[in-house]
Order: sequence, then structure tokens, then C-alpha cells
Amino acid sequence: MLEIHEIDVYRRDIQILRSVSLAAREGKITALLGSNGAGKTTLLMAISGLLKPRTGSIWLNGISIDRQPVHKIVEMGISMVPEGRRLFPEMSVFENLELGAFTRKARDTKDQMMEEVFEIFPILKTRSTQIAGTLSGGEQQMLAIARGLMSRPRLLLIDELSWGLAPLMIQRISEAINQINTTMGLTIFIVEQNVSMTLEMADYGYILENGRIVGEGEARQLLESDEVKDAYLSIGDV
Amino acid sequence: MAQVIIYGIISGAFYGLAAIGLSLVFGVMRHLNIAHGSLIMIGGFAAYWFFHLLKIDPFVSIPFVMVILFIFGALLYKGLFSHLDKLPEGQKIDNSMLVGFGLIWIIDNLATLLWTSDVRAVTPSYTGKVWQVVPGLRISFVGLIIIGIALLVIFSLHLLLTRTYFGKAVRATAQDRDAGNLMGINVARTYLIFFALSAALAGVAGVLAAVNYSVHPMVGFEWLLKATIILVLAGVGKIGPVFAAGVLLGIAEGISVYFVGATYREVVGLVIFILVLLRRSMR
Repeated sequence: MLEIHEIDVYRRDIQILRSVSLAAREGKITALLGSNGAGKTTLLMAISGLLKPRTGSIWLNGISIDRQPVHKIVEMGISMVPEGRRLFPEMSVFENLELGAFTRKARDTKDQMMEEVFEIFPILKTRSTQIAGTLSGGEQQMLAIARGLMSRPRLLLIDELSWGLAPLMIQRISEAINQINTTMGLTIFIVEQNVSMTLEMADYGYILENGRIVGEGEARQLLESDEVKDAYLSIGDV
Repeated sequence: MAQVIIYGIISGAFYGLAAIGLSLVFGVMRHLNIAHGSLIMIGGFAAYWFFHLLKIDPFVSIPFVMVILFIFGALLYKGLFSHLDKLPEGQKIDNSMLVGFGLIWIIDNLATLLWTSDVRAVTPSYTGKVWQVVPGLRISFVGLIIIGIALLVIFSLHLLLTRTYFGKAVRATAQDRDAGNLMGINVARTYLIFFALSAALAGVAGVLAAVNYSVHPMVGFEWLLKATIILVLAGVGKIGPVFAAGVLLGIAEGISVYFVGATYREVVGLVIFILVLLRRSMR
């Protein structure tokens, strides 16, 4: 589905990613784990086209996307739920969802898609005329995910799902992610600091440290591995 | 006194039209295009030539003038302003002002070379016609049309921004450019069209200026001054407040003419400008 081949990504003149290669398999949840500043968000920005890799290539279903503009990449079926949600705070829930279905193809199926996301997040339906900036943190994250689904993506990128959320809310939203993955058959690539939560939800995982991939494996194996336990899980339950 | 207020409303409707493009571009794109006044001047000259050479009524020429300025605005954005889009907000505002300042220089002097510095006005047959509302209270025919056009512009801009995909794209990118981009919005194209549209609105204001006042190559700066006062009064990027501030300025000027004399008309606007700035900076 998604294949990243040895990309180097810079922000201004500082190299953030060093020869990163990874893949997200069709219909699976793939997780990218790593601490603050490891380069996780930079990687997502490179996939979505907001940053261009200096070397290396990114492929979606065999088509190279690393030189495409952001809006073209969205049309090709990649949707991102950005870090910090990045909703349009002065617009209503309904308008935010409408903008999620901005691409020409998505406009035709907008109403049907809206019903589907309301089924996953019923609270959004009751809040549909409310201004997005006035929603609670959990509701905002639900809206961000719902908005990401509106374009009918083939690949959903999620940056810091648990950002600023209470544990109970994280639980509910990660269940929703699993539901989306199984019922819609959507491929999901998730970036997280919350290692145990993410690995329980994911099929496969990569570990990013200082801009390099330092480990990978089936999520269950990673959860058991000493490496992960030492690095991420030893300081109590994260 | 009621007469003064009517004149205030007419000039206010015009001031609103002069300011709306400047305000929207600043609000959405963070470009402070101080050459906006010069675009209004070009619109005024376009109406003048349409009237004198082709005998086209100024109000009929509005769509043509809009098309000309739309294309001119698109070229300006593509050639100059779009290169500033990658800058952080503060630098973008500063640099767009510098670009605009250079543009004023070039456009105004080019206009002087091409058309001489003569003051010109468009004078169709109905110039000076007035309509007696009640005895002692008159409103000019041209003034009525200006108010009508201002209302039409407010209404259609509102519909454009709230009801169309283009308008939603504009509002979304104004709130968060990258997030808008991630929704599949072609931000560069949206900005291009929006900038061109603001130039077209400057064209509308120019036509009205040529009919209701007069036009000469250096007049742009005067309209820019009014537009900037309104920008400060109304805040940025909102349609309704811009026209409300325009009418407020128009009435304040009218009242000052009534009580103090026409010499001090320009002073009133600038005093308001300074008072508002002082109050804002004290917060």
C-alpha cells in the first residue's frame, strides 16, 4: 500500500529523517512509535506532501507521490488527522466535515459519508451546528478523525491520537479507530508516543529514534520485546 | 442634518467598497496590499475611457472593468505577491507592504505618463439628477446606485463565502492554511483567485469614484488612506463591519463639514484613526 524508501527529510537546513524506510500494509494498522523530537510528525508531513524529501521516494500503490502537491496527494487517497487536530475553529462541526469532503470525488458521496461518520461518532450529529472551537477535547479529536474520513481515503494518517485526552477518552477513540479499520477496511498509519496503547491496537510497528528506524516487528512481539520494554515501558505504565 | 447623514451614507457605502478588497486580502492571506488604492485608480480610468472612447455607461462598464482588474490582480499576485506566501506571518505583512509601495510608485507614475495628471470625471447625462424624498431631503441618483451596488456586493460576497466550496476554502485556509491544504484545497489557486477578486472589487470602487468624485493618477493614495482608516475601525476580514465603519466615517465627515467646514473633512477621519489606534494600544 504505502512504501517509503530511504527518505532524507530536512526542515530548513536541519536533517530530521535519515534514510527512513517503512511500509504500511493494506487493511492493517501500522504504528510509528518514538519519543518527542524523534521525527514522527516530520515523517507524516513528508507522506502528506507538506514537506518534500531531499532523497528517497514515497509510493502509494506503486505510484510515486513524493513530488506531488499536497492537494493531489489527498485526491490520490491519503488523508491526515494532524497533530493538535487543526480543526477550523470558527466553523461549525458540519462545515468542518464538509471541508473534509472537499475533493471533487468526495463531494458526490458527502451526504452518505456524513451518515457513516455520525454512526461511528453519534455525538457529532447532535453537535453538528456547534462551532468546532467550543467542543471538548475528546469531541474535537473525534471531529478531526471524522473530517479525515470524509474524503474517503484509502490510507488514513493519524498524528498523536492521544494528544491532550483523558485515558477514558483515549480508550473510546482507539476503539473507534479499530472499528473504522475493520468495518471500512481502511489502512491506518498512526504515530504515537503512547506506546502500550498503540501497540495493543496496531498490527505492525516501527520505532523511530533520532530520525532513524531502530526497530520493527509485529505489534504483539514488539510489546513483549525487551528493547521496547526498556526504552518505553520501564518507567511505569506510559 | 438628515441631508448630511444621507450624504454620509453614500460616501460611506463607497468607502466600504474601497476598503473591502484590502480588508479581505489582509484577513485571509495576510498580505497588506497598499497598492489597493492604485488599483482603484486604474478602475476609475478604465471607466473613464470606456465612457469617452466607447460611449459605454459607467455602470454598464462595471463588469468589463472588473474583468480587466481581475486579470491584472491575478498577474500581480502570480508575479509578485505569491512569492511571499511561504514567509512567516509578520515578514509576509512587512514584505507585502514593501512590494505594494513599489507598485504604487510604478502604477501611479505610469498612469501619469500614459494619461497625464489631469483630473477627470465621468459625467453621464444623469449626473446631478436628484430625487426629492420629502421636501428638503434629497438624494442623488448616482448616490442611490452606489448604495445599491454596495448592498449587492455585501450580499454576493456573503453568499460566496458561506455557500460555495470556493468561499469555504477561503475561510478554511484563512483559519489554518496547512490544514486547508490537507483537506485537498489547492491553496495557491484559491489565493490567486481571491487576490484577483479583491482587485476586481477595487475596480468597482474605481468606477464609482470616477462617477461620484473624480480620478487622476495620484488619487489612489487618498482612497488607500480611507481604506486604511476603515481597516483600523472595522478590524480585518469581515464584510459587515467594513461597510458599517465606512458609513460611520462618511457620516462623521459629513457632520464635520456641517459644523466645522469642508476644509477639515480629511482631518476627521485621521483623528478617528489615531483615537482608535490609541485605544487599541492601551489594552
